[in-house]
Amino acid sequence: MRTKNMETGEDDLCKNNWGSASILDYEMAREDEEEEPNLHVFKASSSCQDNNNNGGQASVDFLQGVKAQAWDPRTMLCNLSFMEHKIHELQGLVHLILGRNGQLQDEQRQLVTADLTSIIIQLISTAGSLLPSVKHHNMSTTAPGSAFHEMKNEDDAEEGENLPPGSYEIKQLEKEEILAPHTNFCTICGKGFKRDANLRMHMRGHGDEYKTPAALAKPTKETVPGSEQMLVKRYSCPFPGCKRNKDHKKFQPLKTILCVKNHYKRTHCDKSFTCSRCHTKKFSVIADLKTHEKHCGKNKWLCSCGTTFSRKDKLFGHIALFQGHTPAIPLEETKPSAAASSQRGSSGCGNNNNNAGMVSFNLGSATNANQETSQPCFMDGKISFEESFSPLSSDTCNFGGFPRSIFDDSFQMLISSACGCSPINGGDGSVSDTSV
Amino acid sequence: MPLSPSILSVLSEDLLVRVYGFLDPPCRKKWRLVSKEFHRVDSLSRTSIRILRVEFLPALLSNYPHLSSLDLSVCPKLDDDAVLRLASYGAVSIKSLNLSRATALRARGLETLARLCRGLERVDVSHCWGFGDREAAALSVAAGLREVRMDKCLSLSDVGLARIVLGCSNLSKISLKWCMEISDLGIDLLCKKCKDLKSLDVSYLKITNESIRSIALLPKLEVLEMVNCPLVDDDGLQYLENGCPSLQEVSLSFLHNIKALKHLKTLWIDGARVSDSSLLTLSSSCRSLTDIGVSKCVGVTDIGVVGLARNCINLKTLNLACCGFVTDAAISAVAQSCRNLETLKLESCHMITEKGLQSLGCYSKHLQELDLTDCYGVNDRGLEYISKCSNLLRLKLGLCTNISDKGMFHIGSKCSKLLELDLYRCGGFGDDGLAAISRGCKSLNRLIISYCGELTDTGVEQIRQLEHLSHLELRGLKNITGAGLAAVACGCKKLDYLDLKKCENIDDSGFWALAYFARNLRQINLCYCSVSDTALCMLMSNLSRVQDVDLVNLNRVTVEGSEFALRACCNRLKKLKLFAPLRFLLSSELLEMLHARGCRIRWD
Repeated sequence: MRTKNMETGEDDLCKNNWGSASILDYEMAREDEEEEPNLHVFKASSSCQDNNNNGGQASVDFLQGVKAQAWDPRTMLCNLSFMEHKIHELQGLVHLILGRNGQLQDEQRQLVTADLTSIIIQLISTAGSLLPSVKHHNMSTTAPGSAFHEMKNEDDAEEGENLPPGSYEIKQLEKEEILAPHTNFCTICGKGFKRDANLRMHMRGHGDEYKTPAALAKPTKETVPGSEQMLVKRYSCPFPGCKRNKDHKKFQPLKTILCVKNHYKRTHCDKSFTCSRCHTKKFSVIADLKTHEKHCGKNKWLCSCGTTFSRKDKLFGHIALFQGHTPAIPLEETKPSAAASSQRGSSGCGNNNNNAGMVSFNLGSATNANQETSQPCFMDGKISFEESFSPLSSDTCNFGGFPRSIFDDSFQMLISSACGCSPINGGDGSVSDTSV
Repeated sequence: MPLSPSILSVLSEDLLVRVYGFLDPPCRKKWRLVSKEFHRVDSLSRTSIRILRVEFLPALLSNYPHLSSLDLSVCPKLDDDAVLRLASYGAVSIKSLNLSRATALRARGLETLARLCRGLERVDVSHCWGFGDREAAALSVAAGLREVRMDKCLSLSDVGLARIVLGCSNLSKISLKWCMEISDLGIDLLCKKCKDLKSLDVSYLKITNESIRSIALLPKLEVLEMVNCPLVDDDGLQYLENGCPSLQEVSLSFLHNIKALKHLKTLWIDGARVSDSSLLTLSSSCRSLTDIGVSKCVGVTDIGVVGLARNCINLKTLNLACCGFVTDAAISAVAQSCRNLETLKLESCHMITEKGLQSLGCYSKHLQELDLTDCYGVNDRGLEYISKCSNLLRLKLGLCTNISDKGMFHIGSKCSKLLELDLYRCGGFGDDGLAAISRGCKSLNRLIISYCGELTDTGVEQIRQLEHLSHLELRGLKNITGAGLAAVACGCKKLDYLDLKKCENIDDSGFWALAYFARNLRQINLCYCSVSDTALCMLMSNLSRVQDVDLVNLNRVTVEGSEFALRACCNRLKKLKLFAPLRFLLSSELLEMLHARGCRIRWD
């Protein structure tokens, strides 16, 4: 029952356009889990009985006001007390039902459920008004995962976030701090870690007290939303004159420490990581290098205009689009077979020139006989040769000069003359077959 | 010979040219020997030439100034260097170039040729299995190309196709059969850039419906062959139906429903899952069909075929091979309603008997080709009926064991135009039957009498009367000896293909005769023959046209003998079948040389 109504409440919130649905989902779920303790908190802080019990509609209007408004503890308190009031009402109703042992008439039951529904809707919408603060609070203490997500959209953040200058706290880390390899250090042995999660994993080795769920839990989970940190944290780049530096006229803050690190390395540091494949691309962030290396060398689809593509369909799209562009054929692919074959012919020629007259064959040379398998490496060896392959040099390795053809003709003459029988049909003529 | 100077005054040169135009090729040979004038007419009128020795090409080109078609497919010595030497003689005006199986040619030579032949429009590089993108790029130099055949250019990929497509935008016909590397991308680009395409063959390619969608956008496409494209299905055909306004000929391997293609004239759906009902709907919507193939469509029965025959009266070609449920009734219906029938293939239609053949003999006077392979219902009486189809050019009777000499007499006496006769494993007839065929069917150029066990030398010697014979299969004829083969070799000078597998009793005298007389032999199968070392060397060195040799299980041939024989012909071989252990016994130089010349060796 309760969860069902929660959903309707969520719908209302969505209509009010409060941030992304995913965050709301998360918040709702969390609130659902922690409903009971929260209720007690609300009960305890019943100091300000407000006149805010004028139905859902009013509270929704009020919520819309909150959006434009900056964060105000006073309104928050009001909301809380309103919620408390409503919860009391709910409790009364449930007591009533309990008292009658659930033996209700149909109409009565309908009335009760209707009441309950309206109360719960109000409750949720009011609880939702707490959300903006909760959201901001959550952002400043983002988990590593979401920080990573934000880092990717670092540049987009400029449009997405238009925080008024006074609405966040600016932190500026020093250069050394940014470039330090580790940010989390073990208090016992002093070992440094990049991530706090890794540190917590490491801490387990220091004793059983670090193995409890509480010790292993994320530190951010422990803080109650909206309890301590009121202001959103934003970061400034320490490099003077940078747009990300707080002294810049059009200062654009960085969202997380990770953003700061990557920004500083990318824009203000040397690019010390060179791609091991192409040896031309350089990077200052190692993750960027890794991303590049994944795709480096895969731009094998080349257009005659010099543009390379990583995918064949992209190349073909390019070709279809532009007149006069043709796909280029990589040198290594087809040339070796042609060049290597003529090379083979010429090498055979060189070997055979010595004993062209006396026909002595090396039969049974099993090492070379399996020539089809040994062929690839043969080709590899000849690539350098074929690069200097010119029409002039090719004349030297023609098959016409190959001694076997001489042998062939002489052999033929030898047989025909030895037999003394001249062929009747001169089928050897140049125009052998007349197909007109 | 007293040549009257009046012959030119009576018949002017252009009249002579017209007379010459009516002659068939053998007569033209004699014509040019008559006189200088006649020879001049011959050399002026000659437009196509097929040559064996590329060395003579320059001289021939100057002799025949109007040559437009050049066939180099039988040139064994054609390679890059030969072409480069040709290039020094300057450009030629060849429009059509046949380079099929020119496996020794590579990109460099091909590019030279493409530049040499200005105005090249047609080129055939089919079965050049080594050809790839580089060769395609070389071809694309000839910007005026209209027709390209690239069947079985195994390394051709989308990139090479793109080069051709972009280089020759006027393409109207392209065949990419068995170019296994081609994908949707290449076909898509082809269809985008070559809007004039009229004929496209994409058989056996791994293309999907996406390609068909692109193909369907071709406004002028008339012929589409897409046999055995396993990734194309009915959804792809849907595109075809909605596009391609001028499609006239389709070859498919499957069929669901084609209704929209009303002007379709040719449809090959061999091996498709076609039922009678879909054949009926098809024939009722595509009434102008002239050629249809439904071979291996198991679902087709009499009902479908009768319906087809009634709807498509103009049918000329009907292929019902392996449609086992088709009976005489269907054949009679086809014969009666489709009077223009020219080709009928009934291979493995076991229910066909002389009754069906009787109606064929009565009505199908235009029948030119009849395939009755493996129809064991066919007997002598059936052949008597068939012989009434006097225009028959091709007759296949393989595995028809109920045929005897009597049936052969009928065929031999009446079917004098026969060009092709297949009698594979027809054990029922003997020497007399073969003699009757040899006497009667003088124009036969293709004869298959493999495994006709009754035949002996007396019969086979009769074959020598067939002067035009170019394809002869004598496989498994144990009774023939050297004398028989010698007679054949002597008489059939045009012999091009000879299969002597398992003719174990032929001795060297036969092979010596072959080596001297059968100089046009291009393909020979000598497996299991008792040929000796010397005879093999003789054969291989003397037969200067031989390109495809099968030399497996030659008991009397030594390793040295094979080596010598192969060395004698290694620069003209294109295809070779050898005993597998020889791979390690033949010299590596020889194997390398063969490979470099583009010879494909199958080790058996």
